[in-house]
Amino acid sequence: MTKVFTDGLSFALPLLIMAVGAIYSEKSGVTNLAIEGFQGFGAFVGALVAILIMPYLPKSSQIPIYVAMLFAAIGGGIYACVHALLCINFKANQVISGVVVNILAVALTTFFTSSANTALLGTASNKFILGVSNRHSIPLLSKIPWIGGLFQKMYPFEWIIIGLVIVFWYLMYRTRYGMRLRACGENPQALDAAGGDVVKTRWIAVIISGALSGIGGICFAYSIMANYSPSIYMGYGYLAIAAMIFGNWNIPTTVLVCLVFGIAKAGGQQLCIAMKLSGNYTDLFNMLPYILTMLLLIFFSRRNHPPQACGQPWDHSRR
Amino acid sequence: MENYIVEMRHITKRFPGIIANDDVSIGIRPGEVFALLGENGAGKSTLMSMLFGMYTPDLGEIYVKGEKVEFRSSNDATAHSIGMVHQHFKLVDNYTIAENIVLGVEPMGKKLGFLPAVNMKQANREIAQLSKDYGLEVNPTDLIESVPVSVRQRVEILKMLYRKAEIMIFDEPTAVLTPSEIEFLLKIIDGLRKSGKTIILITHKIEEIKQIADRCAILCRGRLVDIMDVKTASVQEMANMMVGREVDFHRHKSEAHFGKEVLEVKNLTVLNEHHFPVVKKVSFSIHAGEIFAIAGVSGNGQTEIADAVTGLAAASEGQVLLNGKDITHAAIRSRAQEGISYIPEDRQSTGVVMDFSLSDNLALRRYTKEPYSKNGILNFGEFRKSAEEMITRYDIRSGQGVKTIVRSMSGGNQQKAIIGREIEEHSDLIIFVQPTRGLDIGAIENVHRQILEERERGAAILLISLELSEVMELADTIGVIFSGELLKTAPAGSMTRNEVGRYMMGVKEA
Repeated sequence: MTKVFTDGLSFALPLLIMAVGAIYSEKSGVTNLAIEGFQGFGAFVGALVAILIMPYLPKSSQIPIYVAMLFAAIGGGIYACVHALLCINFKANQVISGVVVNILAVALTTFFTSSANTALLGTASNKFILGVSNRHSIPLLSKIPWIGGLFQKMYPFEWIIIGLVIVFWYLMYRTRYGMRLRACGENPQALDAAGGDVVKTRWIAVIISGALSGIGGICFAYSIMANYSPSIYMGYGYLAIAAMIFGNWNIPTTVLVCLVFGIAKAGGQQLCIAMKLSGNYTDLFNMLPYILTMLLLIFFSRRNHPPQACGQPWDHSRR
Repeated sequence: MENYIVEMRHITKRFPGIIANDDVSIGIRPGEVFALLGENGAGKSTLMSMLFGMYTPDLGEIYVKGEKVEFRSSNDATAHSIGMVHQHFKLVDNYTIAENIVLGVEPMGKKLGFLPAVNMKQANREIAQLSKDYGLEVNPTDLIESVPVSVRQRVEILKMLYRKAEIMIFDEPTAVLTPSEIEFLLKIIDGLRKSGKTIILITHKIEEIKQIADRCAILCRGRLVDIMDVKTASVQEMANMMVGREVDFHRHKSEAHFGKEVLEVKNLTVLNEHHFPVVKKVSFSIHAGEIFAIAGVSGNGQTEIADAVTGLAAASEGQVLLNGKDITHAAIRSRAQEGISYIPEDRQSTGVVMDFSLSDNLALRRYTKEPYSKNGILNFGEFRKSAEEMITRYDIRSGQGVKTIVRSMSGGNQQKAIIGREIEEHSDLIIFVQPTRGLDIGAIENVHRQILEERERGAAILLISLELSEVMELADTIGVIFSGELLKTAPAGSMTRNEVGRYMMGVKEA
């Protein structure tokens, strides 16, 4: 049972940081289906930097992980500029732009991974071998019965993500930028008339979205994947979007939704093991979060309040 | 050289196909209420949008307090203490009143001594004080979506005051208000003038100008006609200049010749979405050649009657008969083909498809019929041909003729297009709901003439209007509605304006 919480949390938090990224973009009025692409591309950049510096560091050093997280954020942020440029400056259809950005990310990163491996190691592998991050248990808290699992064998990145979520919650609901960002997704004309800069606000939001998604991606690479490969495109970006929608574009509720998703996934796996089923069934149980998604969709989508201007390109002259 | 606070010299602004402003020069004195009068599409809003930095003029210069300015955005205008209340309010629905007011100029504080945060407590306090000072009662913590239109307008005014604007532009501020709210607003404007603000009022309602303005510039089709002193100018004079021709304030209505009964409504009851009856057992009938007007205060069920007759809303009880045939449960299109034309209240959402071209919009009633389509395939040549005819016949003005996207047309011309399209069907019954809302006198005169012409032709007309004067001028029979019930139905000649007004307030026996 404790393993369900341990694994659940380590899956939920990377998902959460991507969902927060998606919330930033959508709250500013830019529909974002490109989370999947952002996290993959960000993770690629982070992983590339990590394998470049790894030879110069001791074998079990944890430094590459933190460097990789930083560069995954930078890479995701830069790649998000493609989506921002298409949606904000060229006023493209935001759904199509998101899909295109995803497809492009898969193609680009697959190609670059193979090329980088050929150039650096001389093998045409499509993987960067990263290893798995160390894990630490919190003294005392991890001894609590049942939920103690939440504090056992935590990846350090989980703490970083919790910190980031608090920072970005504060930025959205307490600061000047956050206030303008939320106005921008509800009624950009209001922000414009009040002297705010709609284009700048949205650009920053989409870049934040890319950076946070990149962090989510590299955390998956360092935990459940143990390497970087095109299998990073597992659909977790879309799951993060689903979490955002059930969370009603609200960071605190999205935290809960991600926890439920994480525990459902880990619970499914443990159930499979407990029932002594063959490995073939693991995939079946891995479907749990997605089935949960579909069920939640039926109950929650009617009461939701998406940002009113989300998906509409902003045109200064249109009244 | 006079001491102007704002001066616009030789301003010219072109949009595709239209010269919105053609060499317009105006000067505004500090502390006055300066009105801009003109028909819809005369270029008033465009001129002021340039003063507020939303457009840049193609030619000409703008001076504020004697200094030449070139505004690139509304921020630049705000920095020169210019504020504007737009016709369509620019508010965030799920923000509080205070959040809307401070958006863009947020007061900052520190959380835990070091984290920068927007200080909403201070904002709420300041706004409560400000609203008290200027008599603009609002509760700073109310959400915008929960307050009525008149309060939203106060929020827009407070937005300007909060930004310490000295020059305030009001774009058609009374279009969305009820008569008593208009009175209140004009008092507020007068108060602002007394406290030293300079006010620019864009409007097409001459009575308001007479009541409040000091001077008035008249624009007609993009050109400045004259700047007059309001006290010495007559209403007729201003109206003529604004329209560019002699305006006729009298309606020429011939003797009524009622024909057969066209529409009969029996015990009609309509429920709203909460299953609450908004129309209660209403019965009336309209004959060919008769204008039946429903008078009433907004929201008493009049729109729902029209919706039930056209089929947009379902009747829960009662019957609707057209030429003796029961159409209570007929589909909307079949009712229309049986002979109902409908000029809806909300022209932009129900009357036209905003992002379709003018010719497509004009064909909405006939595209299923030959020669406009054959075997399900549209014939755009026919669309264009008939649209061009209608544009000339109904004087519909637009930037690019039949190809114009309706969204870019002025409200008055959108209405002309809808009325033209509906009249062309030569229906037995024509329903006009608020046909002159938001229109200027020239356009109102036009609409009224068309309504009377249709009556002359022998159509039965159901007119639903909130303007009592419109009802009194046009109707043959008046039904007064209050809280979903027809309190009184009588020939127009037998009731005075005051009597109708009393029934509208729900007084049963006058």
